[in-house]
Amino acid sequence: MKTNGHGKSGHGTGPNGHGPNGTNGSNGHARPRTGTRLRPGLELTGREGSVREGSGREGSVREAFAGKHLVVTGVTGFLGKVWLGMVLDFLPEVGRLTVIARGKKGEDAAARFQRIVERSPAFRPLREKHGPALRDLVAEKVRVVEARLTEPHLGLGEEGARALAADVDAVVHFAGLTDFEPEPKMALDANVHGARHVADLAALTPHGRYVHVSTCFVAGIRPDPEIPEEITPGLSPNGTRFDPAAEIEALEEGLAKLDTKKERVDFATARANALGWPNIYTYTKGLSEQLLETRDDIASTTFRPAIVECARSYPFAGWNEGINTSGPLVWLLSTSFRRLPAKAKNHFDVVPVDTVARGMVLATAAALRDRARPVYQCGSSHVNPFTFERAVDLTGYAVRRLHERRGTRWEREVLGRLEPHCDDPDREQLLGYKRMRQAAKAMRGFLRDFDLERVVSPALYERIDGDARKESLRSFSMKCRTTDRKLGQVDEMLRQFRPFIHDLHYAFRADHLVEETAALSDEERALFGFDAPELCWRHYWVHVQVPGLDTWCIPLLRGEKVPEDEPLAPAEDGVRAKRGERSADPLRHAV
Amino acid sequence: MQTAAFFRIEGTLTERSALAAAAWITSNAQGVGERVARLGNVALAAPLRFLGEMQTGAAATRVTWMGVRGMTEDRLILLGEEYYEKYLKDDVLDVGKDLLKQAKKQGRRVVLISDNVDWVVAPLAEQLGADDLICNRFEIRKGKATGRLEDPVIGGNVAGQWARSFASEHGIDLDASWAYGASAADSLLLSAIGQPCAVNPDWQLRRLAKDHDWPVVEK
Repeated sequence: MKTNGHGKSGHGTGPNGHGPNGTNGSNGHARPRTGTRLRPGLELTGREGSVREGSGREGSVREAFAGKHLVVTGVTGFLGKVWLGMVLDFLPEVGRLTVIARGKKGEDAAARFQRIVERSPAFRPLREKHGPALRDLVAEKVRVVEARLTEPHLGLGEEGARALAADVDAVVHFAGLTDFEPEPKMALDANVHGARHVADLAALTPHGRYVHVSTCFVAGIRPDPEIPEEITPGLSPNGTRFDPAAEIEALEEGLAKLDTKKERVDFATARANALGWPNIYTYTKGLSEQLLETRDDIASTTFRPAIVECARSYPFAGWNEGINTSGPLVWLLSTSFRRLPAKAKNHFDVVPVDTVARGMVLATAAALRDRARPVYQCGSSHVNPFTFERAVDLTGYAVRRLHERRGTRWEREVLGRLEPHCDDPDREQLLGYKRMRQAAKAMRGFLRDFDLERVVSPALYERIDGDARKESLRSFSMKCRTTDRKLGQVDEMLRQFRPFIHDLHYAFRADHLVEETAALSDEERALFGFDAPELCWRHYWVHVQVPGLDTWCIPLLRGEKVPEDEPLAPAEDGVRAKRGERSADPLRHAV
Repeated sequence: MQTAAFFRIEGTLTERSALAAAAWITSNAQGVGERVARLGNVALAAPLRFLGEMQTGAAATRVTWMGVRGMTEDRLILLGEEYYEKYLKDDVLDVGKDLLKQAKKQGRRVVLISDNVDWVVAPLAEQLGADDLICNRFEIRKGKATGRLEDPVIGGNVAGQWARSFASEHGIDLDASWAYGASAADSLLLSAIGQPCAVNPDWQLRRLAKDHDWPVVEK
């Protein structure tokens, strides 16, 4: 389950040793940084003096990207794909993009990337615009480098990394592991060491510009719901002073002594909780931010999306990939599960993936102009709050419409009519899933030891066709076991989600993206402006999000496949679609 | 001066009353229990409507919509749109469509009047290409309906005084304008307009039309 939708990095077995570029925490000061960040040694030029807190700033996104060479990781992930598609589609001025990827399932990185460009719905607008000529565009603009983020110098060797970084203008790091409770070593490798190695690469570039994708939920457990766009070095969410490098070292030492995954997860979770992070995901992301903060060899910009969900319009309305946060919840509410253990008035900080990609374009442009803020938060809870109460109400309505259109009679007549509500997770329900699970477990235990032949007389056994009855009981016992297992999965999922849907109430400020948007021209604002403040939740949730999840996410939860686009036509077939033409029905491949 | 054609939606353009819309909307509230309670509230309006809007004024309309109290604005908008899609969009009466077409052809300003709420009838007005829509609006506080309607409440009986003030505000020649109604409650409106017409009238309006020599149009 993902909270923000950026790509997953490699989970290689590379050394976990600290790189040469300063992961030692300087714990002497704990003052949040909010101003514009420049790499030490670089001089302020241009309009820096005119930048005022709270004011829009000048600068064109197109000018910022023009002729620039960017190194990007994680473009095989949900958010990375959309961002790359947008850049190739709307910013033809960009110079070159070097994509860091790894091979998978027998494909090398280049073949994997090519397949994604040719088949993924994220690149559908580009395929419709350019047809087979898209191959030429990609060949001209994009170079794929096979590398492993978990290894120092990305496994390219120092010389290789220096050669790669020589003419790079900025490094953009999307890759990360977004599971809530992953194997802690993998999370450390992907989210901490991976980020550090990519930052090391950025340090080798002429300008040291590094844009790091994190998550708003590094805010952790804190009393004040309003989360500012700042990082306080050496201070954990619950106010504990700590040294991030020492913390990582202690974590790795502890993990090395443990044998099972459960022990390692419990150990890492306990450390996370002690510092005020609710789970391993936010803990490793938070540690990564803290480590980056201690470095003085890069100009780092941290971009924090909240919960990344279905696209509002790009590549087309409703597109989603993988299992995101709201997917399992919406799926759950489309079954006979009626009471979501969420706090009604808490914010459900959902942001469409294309809104997040727009924000990333703005943050990257600001970094390229050396005008970036240290932190950009990309959430909706402060600019356009959406509560769980509202989400559940709209989900109930949208699910009823879905059931009416193509549900079974049970779904249409019964489930569609019994709409969900928010409920206290600690309240015992007579017919709640916990009680149902207990009942299924007890029934399974009873039937396992039950022998019909022993409790009825042979004559009666024969008269009631005992063998057939025994088979029915065995089948029912299996159903009880399946029910117990499924409800166990639901219980586990809700346990992992609980901090984000019940315990923690956030309002993530997003002033920096609002400011960047205010400084754009009308044309650029239409393409790249941060549009969360204008989002109509009713329309988005009912007509975009729930149908999108129903097509792209919920089938995965049911163990089914989601549709892939038709492959790009061979070059000799000529251009399939003229420039500028778009599909009239954006979901036509999905149906 | 411009002339207008006033249409009472209920009866002339659609057979469905505002009571039916209120019953359907409240029966699609979020909780099962609240649906029953809300429907009961709407049912209270039935006897008032039976007495006739001439006697009860806008009270019947107010009671009809009281049942939505506490429902979210989101749900009311979505249900209004859904009601239009399911029950109004494709069920506009042919006779009403013909009269409306005729009025437009003659260059009249088309004014639709309804005691339904805007989220139900606004899409219909758009579909029919009306120039004005006079209908009710829910009072919303903090994203939820209070159960009250915003003033002025449009009841079953739209008074002639209203028609006169609308005409003076929009520069309409009432004597040369037309009005189409279907029930006795519309007689006040029809009386105030120069060219009244009863469409599929109930027995009271039929008698009144006969007495006043108003034209009667049937299905």
